[in-house]
Amino acid sequence: MKQTVSSKLLGVLALGAMLTFSGCETATETRTVDAKGPQAINTAAINSQDWANAADQLINSLLSGGALNNAPRTPAILAVDRVINNTQLMVDTDLLIKKIRVALTNTGKVAITNTLGLGERAVVASEAAELEEMQSGKKAKTLVPDYTLYAKLIQQTDKNGKVTQNTYAFQMSLVQVKTGLTVWEEEKQIAKQTRGPGAIGW
Amino acid sequence: MKIKLHSVRVVASLWAGGAALLLAGCASNVNSYERAESQATPNYIADKRVITDNTLAGLVRVVSINQSTVSGNLLKIQATVENLRNSTRNVNYKFEWIDQDGMALDSANETWKTLVLQGRETTTISTVSVSPRAVDFKLKFRE
Repeated sequence: MKQTVSSKLLGVLALGAMLTFSGCETATETRTVDAKGPQAINTAAINSQDWANAADQLINSLLSGGALNNAPRTPAILAVDRVINNTQLMVDTDLLIKKIRVALTNTGKVAITNTLGLGERAVVASEAAELEEMQSGKKAKTLVPDYTLYAKLIQQTDKNGKVTQNTYAFQMSLVQVKTGLTVWEEEKQIAKQTRGPGAIGW
Repeated sequence: MKIKLHSVRVVASLWAGGAALLLAGCASNVNSYERAESQATPNYIADKRVITDNTLAGLVRVVSINQSTVSGNLLKIQATVENLRNSTRNVNYKFEWIDQDGMALDSANETWKTLVLQGRETTTISTVSVSPRAVDFKLKFRE
């Protein structure tokens, strides 16, 4: 009788151990999450939710400020000027600018020109205009932008003991081309604190 | 018996001291001051609330919602939110936009944002619809 109980106990323990060890060997699991949601992996860098939040805050400020209310036409022509990345991160600034472009285009208050500015799009657009001129023999009419958008990303890193804080500043300015005046400016910051390994508690 | 009573007193004192220290250490409440008679005339709207997380509703409360129009025809919504607890709390919120036909607009700015509320703090969250077609909104909260 005693032997039976012992063998049952051993069996249960063996089963438990088997389940425990098999639990450690789980296969790689991937799940789809909302890229703009709190389930996005949070790191010391700028994650997908941070890009979305920064873009949203900048758009809110631009639209609430009423800078586009005095535009000479609707939609106003906007050229995206250079975006300076002064962070230590190798990031594509289109992660911010594209969101701004999409939102502004959706408002119907702005049309973004690709005939001016930097990058591939500007080259393609200017070559297309030249081609049209050659084929039609007429001077292609290019719309001069009413505004240019300029942006800069800055990173400041502060350290106190095992805590590191990365503050990312997203600066943006809207310049009226005709006057050269800045008609809207904004700076939004996202600060992220990371505690190094070995610390107890937060 | 005397020793036992003395021990109870010591333990009680330690508990009281510990509790006082704990409460003092956690205090991060916000005191705020404002004009006694507000000069602003907000356009408050009547809201409908669907609560599926009672715990969250007991932590953070939407005090009021008001709206305005910016840049000519874009709807702006502002909600006043209150932390009902004494501790700092993070909550996530999102605004969604709906057009005249009741269709969700799935706008570019419909993102979950994290709001950090200090103890008993009341603050505002706001957003602007990037589409002039937006006539209604939905504000969502989650922990």
